Amino acid sequence: METFAQSLTSGLLTGALYAMIGIGLTVVFGVMRIINLAHGEMVMLGMFGAFWGQSLWKLDPFLSLLLWAPVMFVGGMLVYRFLLRKIIPGGELNTLLYTAGLSLLIANLALFAWTGDYRTINLSYGQEPVRPFGISIAVPLAIAFVVALAITGALWLFLSRTDLGRAIRATSQNREAALLMGVDVERVATVTFGLGTALAGAAGVLLAPSLYLYPTVGELLIVKCFVVVVLGGLGSVPGAIAGGLLLGVVESLGAVYVSSTYKDGIGFVLFLGVLLYRPSGLFGVGK
Amino acid sequence: MTRRLAPWVAGVVALAALPAIVPNSFYLHVAIMILMWTLLGSAWNLLGGFAGQVSFGHAALFGIGAYVTMILFLKAGLAPWWGIPLGGLAAALVSLPIGLVCFRLRGPYFSLATLAVAEIVKLVALNWETVTNGSVGFLITTFPPVRFFGLAVDWESKLPFYALAALLALGGLAATAWLQTSRLGAYLIAIRENEEAAEAVGIDTVRAKVLTFALSAFLAGLGGGFYAAYFRYVDPDAVLNINLSMEMVFIAMVGGLGTVAGPLVGAVFLTTVGESVRERFQVGHLIFYGLFMMLAIRYMPEGIWGRARRLLAALRARVLGHVAA
Repeated sequence: METFAQSLTSGLLTGALYAMIGIGLTVVFGVMRIINLAHGEMVMLGMFGAFWGQSLWKLDPFLSLLLWAPVMFVGGMLVYRFLLRKIIPGGELNTLLYTAGLSLLIANLALFAWTGDYRTINLSYGQEPVRPFGISIAVPLAIAFVVALAITGALWLFLSRTDLGRAIRATSQNREAALLMGVDVERVATVTFGLGTALAGAAGVLLAPSLYLYPTVGELLIVKCFVVVVLGGLGSVPGAIAGGLLLGVVESLGAVYVSSTYKDGIGFVLFLGVLLYRPSGLFGVGK
Repeated sequence: MTRRLAPWVAGVVALAALPAIVPNSFYLHVAIMILMWTLLGSAWNLLGGFAGQVSFGHAALFGIGAYVTMILFLKAGLAPWWGIPLGGLAAALVSLPIGLVCFRLRGPYFSLATLAVAEIVKLVALNWETVTNGSVGFLITTFPPVRFFGLAVDWESKLPFYALAALLALGGLAATAWLQTSRLGAYLIAIRENEEAAEAVGIDTVRAKVLTFALSAFLAGLGGGFYAAYFRYVDPDAVLNINLSMEMVFIAMVGGLGTVAGPLVGAVFLTTVGESVRERFQVGHLIFYGLFMMLAIRYMPEGIWGRARRLLAALRARVLGHVAA
């Protein structure tokens, strides 16, 4: 029972970060029909941002979020405005292949600049795990979890309460109708891509103290990220949250009760199953 | 007929002459890589270019070919010229269930499913240690003396590999040329342009796609088998890497989708750039793959060969027009 509670908790903690990466991918898909294969590289850039912030400027990795999230937001908008926008009329497969090229370009530029060495971030605090109710929780992961919840909550408020948020949801539901209602769809798309990139980058910053950093880490993350958004239904934000938590828990329980070597495989099998039998996601909210 | 055969004859002559011209073994290595990637680009192009089914999972088929060739050689002593075709066959066999499952999905969803399948195959290779040796993989230290039609093969020279690669690349191009004129090829183009319409006129789209996938897998498996024999080294990171799938996609796409010569042009262009960068900097040779892919989609979606062919046709029309006038 204690093992169960322990692995459930660590699954939920990791799952919240998966969810955050997944939300970025899913809002971009919802608004622009782009499956962004370079999303994992955006996470990787966030991780390296936290690393360089700490090693060059003695910046606390978690505080560097305040710097990197806006930088990634602007960077994402520029990528959309100057690179991706002209590809969209070519169709979904063209944008998929274009972002595949972008992904390879970013990952290999990073490999070239920073080499393939594995790096870690050492925090001056939180060496000892906290133990509420006898469950051991790593401090960096706990901080990341709380911040991820706060960001997701803020995003939720933004999407449901503000005009721009409503415009994003409207465009996601029906682009033509939104256009007819006077929504500046192009501006919405630019902002959404910036938002998706910022979410990926922020998740990267938060994950950096808990994971190994290397330039091709994006490959692993992007595949997990697809699992998350497909589980929840492509285009659905609540779906991505549920999918992220589900994947985190399934992996963590699978590692304990099925096989630790095949824990990643469980996610992929689940992914194929959902793609084949419930293409709109487990909760039937996607499209 | 002579006009159709002429480029093939010229190609074979050029391939036969090349080893005599190249100044050192690095250039021969580049030539071998170009030929291997021509085969792999052609393999992907059958499915991606003609049928419009973008697979991100071809690394799995390549890897299966590589592992089968390697294991047959090390454990059964079977020489690579038996192992390579058997590796291709194994990849084709494995492609059948993958195809039957993944082809239920369309467009980008098919691509994502193949990506997941490739990751599953990689996980199996990493963890099924009794067969695959896990993350350690296999290494051939010395080739036993082998005779090929009575001739002793010199494994230390690159020449036998060059000959084998040339044969395989020609095979890939020939398979594409055959598909282009076959009934199956016509079905595939119909599927690519409009799958519902293709189904409505009575094409068994699933059958056509699965057959093409098997042919494509066979060629990718041959490429993997060749890789195993040439580099004498196989491990999950080397032969089941997702980047291999991407390189196949990029070579076919930059060269020209759905054409016979496209993968050859793409391989000549990208592999030359890639191997030169790899020779000079060790890492990051894929920077240019990504960059050229983005440029191609933006400015030249028909690929280098597609664009060149169109320009040639326009030129010919103008010249002929002048003659007629």
